[in-house]
Amino acid sequence: MNQTVDMPELEGANPVSMGGEPSFMALTFELQDEIFAVDVTNVHEVIDPLPITLVPNSDPFAPGLINARGTVVPVLDLRERLGMRGLERTTDTRFVVLETALGDDRTKFAVVADRVYEVVEISIGSIQAAPDLSMAWPSDFVRGIATHGETLITVLDTSVVFQPELAA
Amino acid sequence: MSNPSDTFREEASDILESLEQHLLELEADPTGRELVDTVFRALHTIKGSGEMFGYSVLAGFVHKFENAFDMVRSGKSVVTEQLIDISLRSRDHIAALLDAGLDEAATSALAASETHIKLMGEIEQLTSEDGAPAPAAAAEEKKEEPTGPGEYLIKFKPDGGALRNGMRPDLLIDELRELGECEAHVIYDDVPPIEDMDPSESYLAWEIQLTTSETEEKINDLFLFFDDGDISVERQDAPEEHAPAEEAPGGTPAKPAAAKPAQKEEGGDSSGSSASAESVRVQAHRLDELMDQLGELVIAQARLNRIAERLTDSVLTGAAEEIERLVTGMRDATLSIRMLPISGVFSKFRRVVRDLSTELNKNVKMIAVGGDTELDKNIIDRLSEPLVHIIRNSIDHGIENADERGESGKSPAATVTLMARQTGGEVHISVNDDGKGLNTEAIRKRAIERGLIEEGVEHSEESIHQLIFAPGFSTAEKLSSISGRGVGMDAVRNFVEDLRGAVDVSSKTGEGTTITLRLPLTLAIIDGLLVRVGDGDFVIPLASVEECVELSEQEAQQEERRSLITIRDELIPVLRLGRLFQFTTDESASRAVIVNADGRRVGLIVDDVIGQHQTVIKSLSAYHRAVEGLAGCTILGDGSVALIIDPAALVKSRESRRREAA
Repeated sequence: MNQTVDMPELEGANPVSMGGEPSFMALTFELQDEIFAVDVTNVHEVIDPLPITLVPNSDPFAPGLINARGTVVPVLDLRERLGMRGLERTTDTRFVVLETALGDDRTKFAVVADRVYEVVEISIGSIQAAPDLSMAWPSDFVRGIATHGETLITVLDTSVVFQPELAA
Repeated sequence: MSNPSDTFREEASDILESLEQHLLELEADPTGRELVDTVFRALHTIKGSGEMFGYSVLAGFVHKFENAFDMVRSGKSVVTEQLIDISLRSRDHIAALLDAGLDEAATSALAASETHIKLMGEIEQLTSEDGAPAPAAAAEEKKEEPTGPGEYLIKFKPDGGALRNGMRPDLLIDELRELGECEAHVIYDDVPPIEDMDPSESYLAWEIQLTTSETEEKINDLFLFFDDGDISVERQDAPEEHAPAEEAPGGTPAKPAAAKPAQKEEGGDSSGSSASAESVRVQAHRLDELMDQLGELVIAQARLNRIAERLTDSVLTGAAEEIERLVTGMRDATLSIRMLPISGVFSKFRRVVRDLSTELNKNVKMIAVGGDTELDKNIIDRLSEPLVHIIRNSIDHGIENADERGESGKSPAATVTLMARQTGGEVHISVNDDGKGLNTEAIRKRAIERGLIEEGVEHSEESIHQLIFAPGFSTAEKLSSISGRGVGMDAVRNFVEDLRGAVDVSSKTGEGTTITLRLPLTLAIIDGLLVRVGDGDFVIPLASVEECVELSEQEAQQEERRSLITIRDELIPVLRLGRLFQFTTDESASRAVIVNADGRRVGLIVDDVIGQHQTVIKSLSAYHRAVEGLAGCTILGDGSVALIIDPAALVKSRESRRREAA
């Protein structure tokens, strides 16, 4: 079952080679009109939405489970964690399956994205620290803000923002 | 597994494991002929394949060891405690040699080690005891004795089937040539006419005239692995040196009398060796890969089913149904490969118990119950360490010495019972001893010292006992080499928690202590009852289900406000899963699944009971581990995910919440 989907390109942004500057490849996706990015090395695959099995009395950040190619993985609702309004499914909704180190273990999970864009090269130097006041969520969730063409991209810190339990 | 030497090592360590088992059984039943034969065969196999893969030191050592058992087989000696003791230590030494592998430096270091020499000496002594009383030292001397060149006449005729077994007469003769001047004649007497000849059969015999300065023993050593046929080595020139040479059969190989029965046994035991050939070694990660593939297959098959339904083509539907059946069978087969009985782990502990009881001079016997309980291989592999800790603690601290046992009217022989059983979604493994029990007062004192509890605050005996699992806790009055370093139980708890299990202790003064590991059945298969609550599918472990009861609409509504239902005049408390899970449910049609939760009957009210389902338990991720009442999740035949309910935990969490509310 090939669920990997074509990704649209970010508007007004042509991939620019960064020359010799240190950079990394990142997958960009949209949540409530904002563009976010995660390091592409953490991304397993992008799949069409699958039926979610709801886990009763669970943390609203992790409402349920899906079967991603024979592996049961939790579905994470990043909107919930970022304090955005509730989940809405559209034809553009995709699940981004990520695998990352949380604590000692590598954990696999799926993140719901409103729309998934392309893989872009982000130069480390272009990432700017996010000003605390401008953010609706704790600043340690993000590594910083990168610009890509005219688009502002919020680069997420996967080791923090996806933690099962947030340190108070 | 391309490297044959690795394969040999794996096989040999398996053999060593069962060897230990058989030696211990032999200790209990010294007259068991079959056991002696089994031990002999095991040694023989290690010797043979060890030599083949270049483990010559190991093979040489095993050869000596084997001789001791050969003498028992041929009735020249009997199984003594001393023999078992030496054998067990030899077994450990073989394991060490095996570990050293083909590393020459490590191997020769081991060969020169005190253990090696001491064991060799002890075995030599054992094997020569019944014959001429030649102590180890004398044998050693004999080896170093310089002998002038001697002439030997060697006659050998391989057994008919020897070539098929990989025997290479040409190599053997080459090796003889290396010893000195050598002249070989082939004897063709037995070669049949060409039309009767079987090309794989060996018909030839050799007569070899050898002039060498090496000892006869050295020549015999060449024929170490030559069991299939007749062989004689005769010294011709120096009759006065004949005497020491004749003594050799006592401690040296290839005497026809020994080789003959060995050969017969092997022939007769062909059924045994073919049985072992039926098992194949597979690396665990390949099984994981297979599981992943299977997962995809299940999803693809579910998709095929949906397409077949939509197209309403009866031929396609038939094919899809057949594939479904095949996939289900394949899934079950694959999963069962990963499951191993726990008896393998249990048997390892016989040795631990034996060694410890000898060392501490306590008479302890071990009983294992429930060895056929199956657990996922990954868990089994990691179980030994915590169990060793627990057993050591039991024997060292729990069990009294014989005098104390006598005073308190107990039988002098103490018992350690290892028990495994599956209950619901868990496997419980307990270690019970009939010793003196935990010293509650000592634990309380120690805990106060360590600041684990406050002085003056009342604690139940039970809760004080649990403190032995606290970090850095140890009550042993003196440190022994065995346990009591203050890390034991703490380490056990960490370990079990890593497996997402739990550990409990219960103890009665004067009667003994039981430590129970409760391990989840990760990846284990259970039979489950598939039920529906709202839009969700849930699996209740069938082991805890007692019965299913249908509630009429009226009844259901009537019971709505109450948390009790009446079944055959019995009042049973119920939990409404729909409400507990905050799912929208169809209240009109409901059923109650009566489960046994920690010994009590509780009804779980669900919307519908779908049926029985073979369930593969998958563990929940860190995101859902904290959700109460769930034992894991599983993938259903259609590829969807269902949650597995842990009835006991569900009831417990419900009760604690009710208490909090009250």
